Amino acid sequence: MIRREEPRIGVYICHCGINISYKVDVEEVVDFASKLEHVVVARDYKFMCSNIGQELIINDIKEYGLNRVVVASCSPRMHEKTFRNACKKAGLNPYLFQMASIRELVSWVTEDEREATEKAKDYVEAAVRRVAKHQPLEPRIVDINPNVLVIGGGIAGMQAALEIAEGGKTVYLVEREPSIGGHMAKFDKTFPTLDCAACILTPKMVSVGQHENIKLFTYSEVEEVSGYIGNFDVKIKKKPRYVLEDKCTGCSECIKGCPVTLPNEFEYGMMDRTAIYRSFPQAVPNVFVIDKEGFSPCRNACPAGLNAHGYVKLVSVGKYEEAFKLIMERVIFPASLGRACPAFCEEECTRCLAGGHVQIRALKRFVADWYYENVGVKLPVELPDVQKDKRVAVVGAGPAGLACAYYLAIQGYPVTVYEALEKPGGMLRYAIPEYRLPNQLVDKEIELIKQAGVEIVCNTPVGEGGKSIDELFGEGYKAVFLAIGAHRDRTMGIPGEDLRGIYTSIGFLRRVNRGEKVELGDKVFVVGGGNSAVDAARVALRLGSKEVTILYRRSRVEMPAFPEEVEAAEEEGVKLQILTNPVAFHGEDGKLSEVECVRMELGEPDESGRRRPIPIEGSNFKVPADSVILAIGQAPESSVFKQEGLEINRDGTLWVDPETLATNREGVFAGGDATKGPSTIVEAIGLGRRAAEYIRRYVEGEDLRAKPYEEHWLETVDKEEVLRRRRYTVSPPTSLVKRPSHERIKDFKEVEATLSEEAALAEAKRCLDCAGCCECRQCELLCEAQAIDHHMKEEIVEVKVGSIIVATGFKTFDPTPLIQYGYKRYPEVYTSIEFERINNAAGPTEGQIRMKDGRVPERVAIIHCVGSRDENTNRYCSRVCCMYSMKFAHLVREKTGAEVFEFYIDIRAPGKMYEEFYNRLQEEGTHFIRGKVAEVTDVAMSPEEEGRLIVVAEDTLAGKVRRIPVDMVILSVGLQAADGAEEVAHLVGISQDQDGWFIELHPKLAPVSTASDGVFIAGCCQGPKDIPDTVSQASGAAAEALSLIMRGQVEVEAATSYIDPEVCVGCQQCKRICMYSAIDYDPARGVCVVNEAICKGCGLCAATCPNKAVTTKHFNNVEIFSELEGILL
Amino acid sequence: MGGNGFIPKILYALCAWCGTGGSETAAALWLKYPENVRPFRVVCTGALDPAYVLRALIEGADGMVVSGCHPGDCHYNLGNFRARRRLAVMKEVLNTLGLDGDRLWLRWVAHGEGKRLVDTAFEFDAHIRGKGPNPLVKRWDT
Repeated sequence: MIRREEPRIGVYICHCGINISYKVDVEEVVDFASKLEHVVVARDYKFMCSNIGQELIINDIKEYGLNRVVVASCSPRMHEKTFRNACKKAGLNPYLFQMASIRELVSWVTEDEREATEKAKDYVEAAVRRVAKHQPLEPRIVDINPNVLVIGGGIAGMQAALEIAEGGKTVYLVEREPSIGGHMAKFDKTFPTLDCAACILTPKMVSVGQHENIKLFTYSEVEEVSGYIGNFDVKIKKKPRYVLEDKCTGCSECIKGCPVTLPNEFEYGMMDRTAIYRSFPQAVPNVFVIDKEGFSPCRNACPAGLNAHGYVKLVSVGKYEEAFKLIMERVIFPASLGRACPAFCEEECTRCLAGGHVQIRALKRFVADWYYENVGVKLPVELPDVQKDKRVAVVGAGPAGLACAYYLAIQGYPVTVYEALEKPGGMLRYAIPEYRLPNQLVDKEIELIKQAGVEIVCNTPVGEGGKSIDELFGEGYKAVFLAIGAHRDRTMGIPGEDLRGIYTSIGFLRRVNRGEKVELGDKVFVVGGGNSAVDAARVALRLGSKEVTILYRRSRVEMPAFPEEVEAAEEEGVKLQILTNPVAFHGEDGKLSEVECVRMELGEPDESGRRRPIPIEGSNFKVPADSVILAIGQAPESSVFKQEGLEINRDGTLWVDPETLATNREGVFAGGDATKGPSTIVEAIGLGRRAAEYIRRYVEGEDLRAKPYEEHWLETVDKEEVLRRRRYTVSPPTSLVKRPSHERIKDFKEVEATLSEEAALAEAKRCLDCAGCCECRQCELLCEAQAIDHHMKEEIVEVKVGSIIVATGFKTFDPTPLIQYGYKRYPEVYTSIEFERINNAAGPTEGQIRMKDGRVPERVAIIHCVGSRDENTNRYCSRVCCMYSMKFAHLVREKTGAEVFEFYIDIRAPGKMYEEFYNRLQEEGTHFIRGKVAEVTDVAMSPEEEGRLIVVAEDTLAGKVRRIPVDMVILSVGLQAADGAEEVAHLVGISQDQDGWFIELHPKLAPVSTASDGVFIAGCCQGPKDIPDTVSQASGAAAEALSLIMRGQVEVEAATSYIDPEVCVGCQQCKRICMYSAIDYDPARGVCVVNEAICKGCGLCAATCPNKAVTTKHFNNVEIFSELEGILL
Repeated sequence: MGGNGFIPKILYALCAWCGTGGSETAAALWLKYPENVRPFRVVCTGALDPAYVLRALIEGADGMVVSGCHPGDCHYNLGNFRARRRLAVMKEVLNTLGLDGDRLWLRWVAHGEGKRLVDTAFEFDAHIRGKGPNPLVKRWDT
């Protein structure tokens, strides 16, 4: 039975010391309140939140039978809980209480006392009106999960984790770096005691690493946090380390093999590290990590997926044989590719933005030539002992067919290649002229393929005039790969094409490559703009023709031939006549004598994107000619396969599934020019290798599409990011040695020379290591523990915790934008954190304070407040800089005897033994100059300033500008909120202040709690502080978390949503907008129902409901309207 | 009426997270703003019922300004986006009713942005002073 009582309200106005009463006439407000409707008693007190204040309320509730309470004081965020508890103690439902914020919303923000008093009255009235409408609510009790999540593994996170773990509870410690330790691990000594940071830190790190209650997630980030106090669901992303944590022994053998050099972030770029690394020798866990930022642009540019970065780096360290092996994993014919590949990789090379691409193709040529010369024609892989029984037939011994055969053979499959011509090699042998690719080299490369066990049967066509596909299956082959190439020359279909003296390019080149004699005469025209046109033209010159002209119907930019080939042809004397096309050939006695051409102009772009050439009417002209070579494209000889049931595309190529290369016929695959039309060697090889993989899956009965072809593939890294990584020198590529053009047209010897070893080494060192790890896999060979897994994937681990401690620390201020200090302009200007490393025995100088030229500094300046206490950067004081600057001064004097000048604004030394340390420094003779530094310059104005850095500052005590010449400058940079602090704030639902630091619940009384229940903060993420304060906060946060766990249960807000089933029409709009899926539709009753356990009380549903069936408890419309009326009247 | 002597009644709806946080930051820095700008708390800007705006204007408020978390920062994920859409419609509704949609503003204020909250209060106060009193007061039937 609910008895509706009349409201009996008690109103209590707080003075908050004088915080409220200095603006608000409290007595007047009390008088006003006492006259309001339903108000039974109104009082004021100096501190309502004190025990006495609370007692006042409790007694009144009992004495006057109050059933509603209003306290007008600070913000509800501050003391709502306090007063609710007081009500509860007196037996009143805590939700029958309302707070009026007359400090935050009135006294602190209102200028005029009269106005403030009136405003306070309005807020009190609003609260009285509101509380009269309040309904009692039952607080919800939830269980606390005893596990704790600690984010950040610096000294704060470690301390908190250890405290909780020691208390017997489980901690998940998440650190984004590969090792815990944070900034403290970088320090040498700590102020003011000058004890060694590592000596006090490393034992703690080890304890964290070994504690059975601490589950350590390094190189990991918190990805998602959901839930509420006591019941958080956390997703932790474990970034791939590429090293197995449980296997790595930390022996560091792997780094000996790594050819990559990257700036060492732990040493602030003052040292290099390899791609496989650990941050520092005492790292916990003592496990290496591979820095793999993606794939290098060169690698992803290659149609065959060749790891150019990998072999370039192997060349850079002289591992040529290893480089050859790495190349052969993705392509065959390395020497041929090293000569005739269009090198898509080079176009994408990041070096293009820094002087010109690395000569990747030439390096491949060097590697292949070196291998054949020094190792011999020897298979670089070991063949499996047992041959498989599934035989595969390959048709066509060109690059595609042989690639497919090779990659199947090295896996143990018996492969037979059928070749129609007399020798294998396809276009490599018959189309690419000797001066670009000697056939003797092709022979060597094919020898390797034969060594892999591939049987090559020449003079045996399949298809036209030879075996049929059915016959091949009949002979027991389980699969057939058609790589018949594109050998049929297209013709123009114009009059006179059958005259003597007219050749087709493939036919012509084939005859020349075979060594047949071809008489062209003096005046030769080549028709076409592709590579075979350019090849034919250059061959014609070498055969002794005096005048060779390429006729091309479009303009030069549209020519499909490689630009460098066109250039080389022009150098040799080939003429280029663009926008010209033959329309007829005229002859005498069946022999060509004249070519009739027409001029062309360019019209609209066609389907290839190039502008369509249109003949200009009446522009026909005739020129005398001895020979014409038609190089207008090729197509596969595919018609015969149509009868075998294969689908043929309109352009004559064979139809295949682009992913699996399977044709429409079961067991028949095709690739290379046969499916793509004339393309490049590297594309053909790529398709051949792809076919090998899918044929393997097919013959093994696997699902072809179960996994992608490239199982291990990463995004291309951002080139700009690579260039930002460190300072680089712009350098031009090593120029390739070519024979002079007048000499080279005399014979068919190679035009370009192979790089010398010296040049190759130097060129390979230009590589910028875009991807980080180059995946040369040398580390794998060295790792006896077999701990390396280059294909590791990111992993998401889900854990449940009851509370969260955020200890994400800080980052140091980057002084580069403050150009007056000369950081990054003068080598002897360091930031304080860099100087910590220089000071550290494990740092780049092994703890010796030396200038970059090795000299010992004689005079050192330390500039305080760089990025602190400055309107232009950060207004706040970073708290630790004065102290660490004095620590530096002491260490510099101790280690070098140099004179030290400290430029300060004020010395801040508040702390135990801090002032004493300051005094000690003064006594030691450190010069303290009070004044802000105007600039650091190297412009000398006197002989003693020569060759030094001059610090110009106003000495405000002496009242004059001083110029202090020094050898070294240390900038005492301030502390800033860490990178990613914003993301962390979003994740756990806490706020940042204007400077990015996390906001505590109360600056004095709740310094480690936050506005989000169950989330605590510790250390520098809350604001700059020194190590002792950080550790104290961490322990405090741990105590808060433990206290929560010990309680076992906690009350959570009862203010959830409620849907009145009598009013609800079941439109489900509320269900759709609820972010927490807390609303279900009950089809039986046709209404929506709130699941209170999940509801967070945001009120979106209530505002959305068109019927006003949804109310948010404690924030319902009646309550809000009453409050609004009070504020407004 | 006009500019002279006219003190508008302005309600400032703040979400319980960033908006209220902003008012507390302003308070902690003792930043002053016009006393006639009166903050009140809703759970989330997305929970701001259009009825509040209508009721306030009918009860004699001259304008209402709403502040909550910046886009992407909402404590309830997307409540502020909901608010943005709802208030855009609300402005049209107010125009239709002859209540002047420009008497309703929405501006994001983060917890740390006390200054922004105060600036908004000043700006909106000046804006409403420029507009003059709520047109409803001229009607004989209210």
